[in-house]
Amino acid sequence: MKKKTSQGTNAAVAVPYKKRSSLFKSLWNSRTLMLMCLPAIIFFIVFNYCPLPGIWIAFTNYNFRGGIFGSPFCGLDNFEFLINSGELWLLTRNTILYNLAFIVLGNIFQIVIALMLNEIRNKWFKKVSQTVMFLPYFISVVLIGAIAFNILNYDTGALNTLIRETGGDPLQIYSQAGIWPFIIFFCNMWQQTGYGSVVYFAAICGIDSSMVEAAEVDGATSWQRIRHIILPSLKGTFIILLLFALGGIMRGNFGLFWNLTGGVNSQLFETTDIIETFVYRTMTTQNNFSTSSAVGLYQSLFGFVLVMISNWVVKRIDPDYALF
Amino acid sequence: MRKTNTRKRAIALVMASMMAMSLAGCGGGNDDANKGSSSNSGSTATSTSTSTGGEIDTSSHEVINMLVLGNRPTNGRLEAMLEQLNAILNEKVNAELEYTYVEWTDWQTQYNLQLLSGDTSLDLICTATDWLYGWENVIKGAFMPLTEDMLQTYAPNTYAQVTEDDDWEICKYDGDIYFIPEDNYIQYTNHGMFYRGDWAAEAGIPDGTITEFEQLTTYFQWIKDNQPDCIPWDVPGKNNTAGILGGYLTSKTDYTLFNGVGVGNYTDFWGVMQSDPGTVVSPYMESDALYDAAELMKEWNDMGVWREDVLNFDGDSREEMYAGTSGADQHHAQTYYSSIVPNMEAKQPGSDPKFYYWGMENQNVAHPLKLHQACAISANSQHPERALMVYDLLRTDEECYRLLNYGIEGEDYVVTDDGKLARPDGWDQSTDALDSNFWLGRNDDLELQDSTWWDGTQDFIANLNSIGYDYPFENFIIDTASIESKQAALANVLSKYIPQLAYGKFDDPRAAIDDMREELKAAGYDEVKASIQEDLDAFVAEHGEVQFVRGE
Repeated sequence: MKKKTSQGTNAAVAVPYKKRSSLFKSLWNSRTLMLMCLPAIIFFIVFNYCPLPGIWIAFTNYNFRGGIFGSPFCGLDNFEFLINSGELWLLTRNTILYNLAFIVLGNIFQIVIALMLNEIRNKWFKKVSQTVMFLPYFISVVLIGAIAFNILNYDTGALNTLIRETGGDPLQIYSQAGIWPFIIFFCNMWQQTGYGSVVYFAAICGIDSSMVEAAEVDGATSWQRIRHIILPSLKGTFIILLLFALGGIMRGNFGLFWNLTGGVNSQLFETTDIIETFVYRTMTTQNNFSTSSAVGLYQSLFGFVLVMISNWVVKRIDPDYALF
Repeated sequence: MRKTNTRKRAIALVMASMMAMSLAGCGGGNDDANKGSSSNSGSTATSTSTSTGGEIDTSSHEVINMLVLGNRPTNGRLEAMLEQLNAILNEKVNAELEYTYVEWTDWQTQYNLQLLSGDTSLDLICTATDWLYGWENVIKGAFMPLTEDMLQTYAPNTYAQVTEDDDWEICKYDGDIYFIPEDNYIQYTNHGMFYRGDWAAEAGIPDGTITEFEQLTTYFQWIKDNQPDCIPWDVPGKNNTAGILGGYLTSKTDYTLFNGVGVGNYTDFWGVMQSDPGTVVSPYMESDALYDAAELMKEWNDMGVWREDVLNFDGDSREEMYAGTSGADQHHAQTYYSSIVPNMEAKQPGSDPKFYYWGMENQNVAHPLKLHQACAISANSQHPERALMVYDLLRTDEECYRLLNYGIEGEDYVVTDDGKLARPDGWDQSTDALDSNFWLGRNDDLELQDSTWWDGTQDFIANLNSIGYDYPFENFIIDTASIESKQAALANVLSKYIPQLAYGKFDDPRAAIDDMREELKAAGYDEVKASIQEDLDAFVAEHGEVQFVRGE
């Protein structure tokens, strides 16, 4: 079995090295390709590189007459606030643990769903189930928050009404921090799994069918086909998606967390407060741009370090799967 | 052939330039605007110095954008009014008025972000030192400093009115005027609880009138026992995370808060005790009354005064009170006599709506702040002179004033024979309201007494005038820049504890308060206190001993 399953991602890097003088020439020669890349390049320049100087806000006492560069410099004071508040550890822990669960379990769910879809022979049923699983992805998190409140709230919620009618003791869900990781995890999976499985499903469709057919002729059962052909072929996709996801491990799904927990219900902070919700809350209640920029910078730096480390680790294990 | 080529080129050119423009819009636009405003303020200086008493140049037509708080009305009345108003403004000062609303949903966030964004299209801004972060925004540079020359030249009537009451002094920061106060408009905005007198009487409260904080417990308990379809106080805790802890402190101590030094959303954190007006204190840190308050709130929570999930609920308790599904609502005196009484009498006949205000039992009530509402000019305004001219008309020209505040005579309002404001037949507040929300400079000289309001309003105000004291810290401005990061740390602690204390969610509120106080101490309570104390000492040195003068 071939070990390398190129997804074409490394193609761009494989431009042969030439002398500097011919750089322009090679650009000119591939002008059509360059033109096609242009929108993406402009996008990144405008939205990712142009705002970079704004990092400066994190080191100033921002006021809006002075603007970004006119505000007084205050060194690391803003970071001191983060440590003083004593929450940096809690926020980092919550953010990372949630994301680990989302990434690891999420990917497993997505692969399982993709495999199941692949095994479905009835075309009509396959399309319908794919669409149904896809649907939650397009529901706004604001709506999900409202739906959840109407199901879970104590006085009029559907769940507690049911419990009451059947003679049980209603649950005080919005004051118990302990169950929220499960609720948030469930909502996230419900929303993301269908969408995420598409990538894996596409990868499965891309597997050379002659291999699968050969295995079938040799008498492999479907479990054996999955175990020895499909799963190993998905390894590359899995690792690349994992690396991408690890880069965002410090980023949380703000909308989901904020809307599900209501944002200001401090009874739930311990298990539901992530960097994004903390930044938003402190910024909006104190309109403190400096602090939120500082947290944003911390978040980005941490994420950057994580990507570098995980890429390095992957490179040590198998250079083919490294991103760069 | 050639023709199509040219056309293609033309299209390409147009598209390319459109793209370039849309890109330039992000970065460059701001620069231009800044230049515009700086050159503009330059010309302000020159024109004020040269044109005092001379001609004012109004040759160019300007659009004056006014930021107000409120939900943009959708019934078309505002537009109809603006059409007539703008015709007048156009004729008199060659300008037109445009509205920007900061809607009530999430207003604190939206308001501050709107100012922070450096929007160059804003001119007149509604602000306030007690509830709209007035001084904070002055310090952050959101507002334009106004010279007396400028005010005298472009807003002469307003200038004269404010000068008459000698109120410019309280609008100054570092020697510059930043606000035009709504100082000729009496409005009591001391908070309290609206409740139903008929139910209070049945609950056995003497005279059906609550005069002490604890009597609310009796009232709520009665509702709980006798009105199964009504939540005693269906408060949206999500929008009011501090609850009424502050109300309790006002009623049970002689605490007076400082404006403009809110810790996060908790605006009454710092102040003084009237018995010791020279010492900065926070009752949240140092008063034993907080223990009692938190314990009472726990009792209420266990009773079911509010929903179990109060901190996630964001309904409208006022509308619910009108509908009979909430037994109480919490807001200020003006809301009581202008909305609660007329609405309750119409929608719940015989409900005898009443108002228990914080500090009723110990007479801890301040006279209205002169900066409870004010007008500021945006720091980025492109034409501050014209904005002032428009403002002057809106505030002091009777025709403009009535149009703006009441609408079109005959359609939106009528004047009764005895000179009071009335509404045409069939007019309904909830569908026909003008909602122009001109809280930037209402003016009692032009204000019509509203015949729809509670007829006891004048007596009520007179009573408060006689028992209240003058708020002595109107122009006490605290240097918030040096304590900002510590304040943020304090706010962070409060945002964890206060919502749960205010709605009785801790099993042991006493222990929780002790924990909170320890954390506040660790977060730098003492440093912030010392810094504010310095400011207070300087204030006392400049203005003399702080005094609480009661009566008119």
